[in-house]
This record gives sequence, structure tokens and C-alpha cells, in this order.
Amino acid sequence: MANIATTTTTSKIEITINDKKVTVARDTMLIKVIQEAKFSVPTLCRNKNLIPTGSCRLCVCEIEVGGTKKLVTSCNYPIREEIKVETDSERVKAHRKVLAEMYLGRWPDVPLVKAIAKRCGVTDGGRFKSELTDANPKSCILCGQCVRACDEFIMERILDFAGRGIKRHLTMPFGQVDHHCVGCTSCAYVCPTHALEIIDDLNHPDNPKMIRDYGMRINAEMATLDKHQCCMREVGTANIVDVMNAYDLLPVMNYQYGSHEDSKKIGTQLLKKNYFTQKMPDGCWKGCSMACAKTVDQFELRTGPYKGQKVTVDGPEYETAGSSANMGCFDADFLVEFNFYCDTYGIDTISMGTCMAFVMECFENGIITTEHTGGKVLKFGATNEVLECLHEMARGEGFGVDVGQGIRWLKNKWIKELGADPNFLQDIGMEVKGLEYSEYMPKESLAQQAGYAMAVKGPQHDEAWLIFMDMVNNQIPTFEDKAQALYYFPLWRTWFGLMGLCKLIWNDVVPADNKTYPPQVAAKVPGHVEDFFKFYEGMTGIPLDEEKMLKQSGRVHNLQRIISRLMGFGTRQHDMPPYRAVGPVTKKEYESRVERYDKQLKEIIGVDPEGKTTEEKMKLIREYRMQMYNKVVDAAYEKRGWTKNGVPKIERLKELGIDLPELVEIIKADQI
Amino acid sequence: MVIINNRDKLEWQESMTVRDLLTKMGYTYSLITVTVNGELVPKENYEDHAVPDGADVTVFHLAHGG
Repeated sequence: MANIATTTTTSKIEITINDKKVTVARDTMLIKVIQEAKFSVPTLCRNKNLIPTGSCRLCVCEIEVGGTKKLVTSCNYPIREEIKVETDSERVKAHRKVLAEMYLGRWPDVPLVKAIAKRCGVTDGGRFKSELTDANPKSCILCGQCVRACDEFIMERILDFAGRGIKRHLTMPFGQVDHHCVGCTSCAYVCPTHALEIIDDLNHPDNPKMIRDYGMRINAEMATLDKHQCCMREVGTANIVDVMNAYDLLPVMNYQYGSHEDSKKIGTQLLKKNYFTQKMPDGCWKGCSMACAKTVDQFELRTGPYKGQKVTVDGPEYETAGSSANMGCFDADFLVEFNFYCDTYGIDTISMGTCMAFVMECFENGIITTEHTGGKVLKFGATNEVLECLHEMARGEGFGVDVGQGIRWLKNKWIKELGADPNFLQDIGMEVKGLEYSEYMPKESLAQQAGYAMAVKGPQHDEAWLIFMDMVNNQIPTFEDKAQALYYFPLWRTWFGLMGLCKLIWNDVVPADNKTYPPQVAAKVPGHVEDFFKFYEGMTGIPLDEEKMLKQSGRVHNLQRIISRLMGFGTRQHDMPPYRAVGPVTKKEYESRVERYDKQLKEIIGVDPEGKTTEEKMKLIREYRMQMYNKVVDAAYEKRGWTKNGVPKIERLKELGIDLPELVEIIKADQI
Repeated sequence: MVIINNRDKLEWQESMTVRDLLTKMGYTYSLITVTVNGELVPKENYEDHAVPDGADVTVFHLAHGG
């Protein structure tokens, strides 16, 4: 895909437009500045969401640089020095007039061409009339917007020009209908003359235009904003490996720490430079304009049944890189091989990584030895041994079989058979409801601790990811604020699943105007919430708003909670996190962030840490943090309409219209 | 002293800019919105926009997470 530098530097340049002085950021395109200064220039080929090409040449202006004057196309002229601009000099007008005559001579009945020609003082294109003259009012004027939209919005090259000079024309490869076309309609959407028409014939939506209008907003954002925001098209979710490390949120060595000096060895920049070899965005499904799935090609495996073979690996994504950090394995070759074999064996990289991290900490603490691991020295960073466990698990042999049972099973086994300290294993075993934690460090975000541990199916972040809102932004300081976030976001995120929609396009790219909302509102990304509501309405014909959305999701969320109850979970005790998710379990952990914890003791808890032993300080921090955790759970339960034991109240079911006898039967004994 | 996000404190320095503040706080995330005393600061002005002593600054990181 073509790429150009835009407003990436911040130095300011003063320029003059028709004697008006304006200050602009370096690299701003001239046409943008002209428009902001309330002047205008005609154009046939420009679309603000597409990379400019200057092909129609109508936007020419006369600029003076160092005493020399010249004509430039303003749509693709980046300002890099002081210039004087004339948008309507005699030379410019003469140039435009000839162009307008030529356009009108060839396409005399296209309304847009007629309007532009009139503006340039031309009403007769007779001078350029020829055998090419096309009287169709919906003629293709070869502006190329459709070609660029196909490339930039959807990253396909279905449409392009063929022929040269007067034979130039728009076509698909070899003049045939290309089956790679996904029917995204981007080309027709941007066509200024309606030469391309859309025939809606898919799934019979109620209002296809509504879906298209809102979908194109997202496509345009992907094409214009993603490269300045999260770079999902370039590196996918791996874009946040470096970010998480910088904010002390990357789980390191079984969530003991949040960053590591070697994280760059599995980091965003290294993966982008050395591993993501397919120089094109890949998508989960064709037609996605975010296309965040990435691929490593020609990767030679060094272990397992496919040892020596060169393979293509789908990933790694952030969570897999996070798993690697969690195991202390800062080795990108290992990361990619681990990714490949987990995929090949049908094993979740998150559960495997978090479980192995627990096993490794147990090994380092002498709870298990090589006697239990089949001779493997499973210290943090033991890349070969992790892969061997993975292969054993797949073969159904040895210690790998035990690892495959998960943390909860291992805890019980080692307490029972090895006499391991149950409190310590409970503290460091990062699972809730039997599911392993996903790869974010929640220690410094109370809301995220609850978001994880209260999630119906276990501590994954599908329901709530509130770390930045809470820990960094301080947007939800009170228990009521946190409870509100723990009410809204799980329901909103559940809604994506209900509709079969991906939520990455909700907030991994955000509209340019999102920053104009106050933070509490901005966190919801209101522009994108509207897009999704319109997708729903366009498909079903039923208008949707926040209240209706929360009700739709609330029904499912509460039903899931009741099913959880039916299965023996779904109460408060099953929403309790291991302490490692809340605070420092070991002295080493406390001391690694001593400034942070001592500050909390002094400024928030009101205890002077001076003169206290680390053990005494840890005890105080633990009591405080668990007390806070329980308070936030109380507040969240109340907001959700659940009892203090975390069971949906019958009146909440009534409110949602799901007070079915068979559901009430399951929870009626818990209504205390 | 500068107050960030109604909680964190940062020692003020002569001719402090928004960029200085972000660097000192280690705020490297891409989806950041900054306001200084209620005024939204565009990204291209981070180098030039002064942060006065006692300023009330918000640095809003947009929620993320798969």
C-alpha cells in the first residue's frame, strides 16, 4: 500500500495565502490549509480520506519559494518551508481553464464536470470534442478514487487503470470479474459521478445504505488514522507489547512484575522488523479494513513433530507475547514456535502460558522438582522445557499431561500429594473459576481486578478492560464510578459477541473528534457506538440506543451468570481473585516496587512505613487492598442488580423480562 | 507543582511544555488526549504548549484491550 508522511513533526511554518498569513504544522498538505483559511480550489480527484494523487490538476496554485514562482497541485503538496501562495493568479486561472475545457470536451454531460467547468469560466468544451467524447451523464472520469479506495480502505487491488493515454480505462485484472472482490462497495461509495453502481444482494438487510454509510466511516478511519494511532494494520495487537511494558502492565514471571528489561526481545518493533514477513495486512475475514491478523512466513521449527520444516505461523498476537513474558521467555524464536505448536495442537496460548508461569514459580520455590517434571528444569525462561511440556501434553505423556489439567487441578494435586502450602499456591495460582488469567497485570487497578475476577466465564478481559481508565486516567475514582464501569463495559462488550461483531474496531482506532468529548464519555468512543447501533438498525430495521443495548446484553449476561450458578459457580466466593492479582505476595515483589507500595501506605492508608519490616508493610497493604476489593465487588453487584452473594435478584430478571420459572428455580434459594 | 488527572503530582519546571510533562510521566501511549487547565492541546502543539505552575492537567489514555 502506498504511504506518505503526513503531520508527524510538530515544527511550525508561517506561510501566506492570498496575502493572508497563517501558521501551519510542517508537512500539512497545502489544500487543507487553503480550506482552513477559507479559500477554495476546484478538484475532481480529491477525497479527504484517500491519499492525494494530484491527477486532475485542477487544484493547482502558484507558489513562490525563494523568489521563484511555480505551479503545484495543492492536494499533494506538503508544506515544508515558508511560501507565498496564490490560489487564483492569472497563470492559475489560465491553466485551470484549459483543463476544464478538456474535461468538458470529453464528458459534456457529467454534472460534476459541468459545475467545475462553470466555476473555471468554461461553458463550452467544443474545442476538445473528439471520438472520445462520452455523453453519458454517469461517465467514469478516470479520477482514480475507486482505485485508491480499493487499495487504501480494503487493501485489495481489484480495480485499476489499464491502457495509456487516450486508451486509459478502469478495469479488473484481464478485463474479467475478479473473484477476490468482496463486494465492500468502497469503489462505488467514493465514485463522484455514479459511474459505479451498487447492487445490494447480500443477506437482505433492511437498509443497506445505512450500513454502508456507517461502514465507510470506519474504512476511512482505518485508512487515515490507524497509522497514527495503534498501527493495527501494521503489527496487529502486538502493537501493545512495548506499551504494556512501559506502563508496568506486562505480566512478567507469573505476574510478579509488570515490566522487564528484555521485553524488547519479544517486543513490537522486533516482531515488525524481523518476523511479520508478509508485507501485507492479513484479515480474519476478507473485507475487514483493520486486518490486524499478522503472519510469520518460512519459520523453521526446531522442535516437535515438524522439526526442520519451514512453516507459516498465524501470529503472534499480544496475548501470546504476554504469555511468553509471563514465563520469563524473552526469545522471539521461542515465542513464534510456541505460538505455532499451541495453534497446531489446539491449545490456548494464554492458558498454557499462565499455567506454565505458575509451574515455573512452583519449581523455583522448590514445591516441585525435576522428580515431578520428568527431569525438566522448569525455571523461568526455560524455553526448551516449555516446548517439551507442550509436546508431551499433545502426545498425552509425562508431566505435560499434568500441566494440561490447568492451575486449579495442579494446586489441588500438589497440596494433597506434596504437602504444598495451600495459602501460597492459592496466592500465586493465577486462575479464577478454573480459568487462567489473560495477560495483563491488574495489581494497580482495582476496577480491573474486579473486571477479571467477576467475569462470568473466568478472568479474561473480554468483559472489562479498565486498567488505563482506572490506574492511569483516574477516571473512575469512587466505588460508584468503578461499579458503573463494571456494569456498562461488560454489557457493551458482551453485545459484540451477541451480534457476532468484532470489537477491535470499536476502540483500537478512534474517530478524530473523539478527543473533544469529556474523558468519561470519550472512553465509550461515542462515534463508534453510534456506528454499531446503525449497523444493527440497518440490518434489522429496529432502531437501537444505549438503554436497549444494555437490556439486550443484560439478558444474556444474567442468563450466563445463572448458568454459572447452575454449574456450581456464580457466587461471591467464585469471584475472589488470587492475591497475586491484587498485590505483592512475596517480599521480593514488594521490594521491587517499594516506592509505590510505601507511598500507598503513607498517603492513602495513613501509616508511616518508616521502621516497619517488609512483612509488616505487606500485611497492611494486603488487608487494605482486599478490603477495597470487597467494597468494589459490593458496589458492582448492587449496580448489576445482584445480591451481596453475587446472584441475580429475581426483580432484576423481571426487569429484563427473563424471569422464567426454570431460571427463578435455580436462584430462588440464593435471594438473601 | 502540576496536578495530573486530579491525582498525580509533578514538580513544575521553568518553561515546561506538554511534551516535557508526558516524557517525565512516561506517557508513551498513542491514543492520548491532553488538556491543560481545561483547554484541549492538539498533538502538533505538544512541543510548544506551555504548562504553567499549578496547572490542572488531564492526560486521558483511551481504554484498549482485546
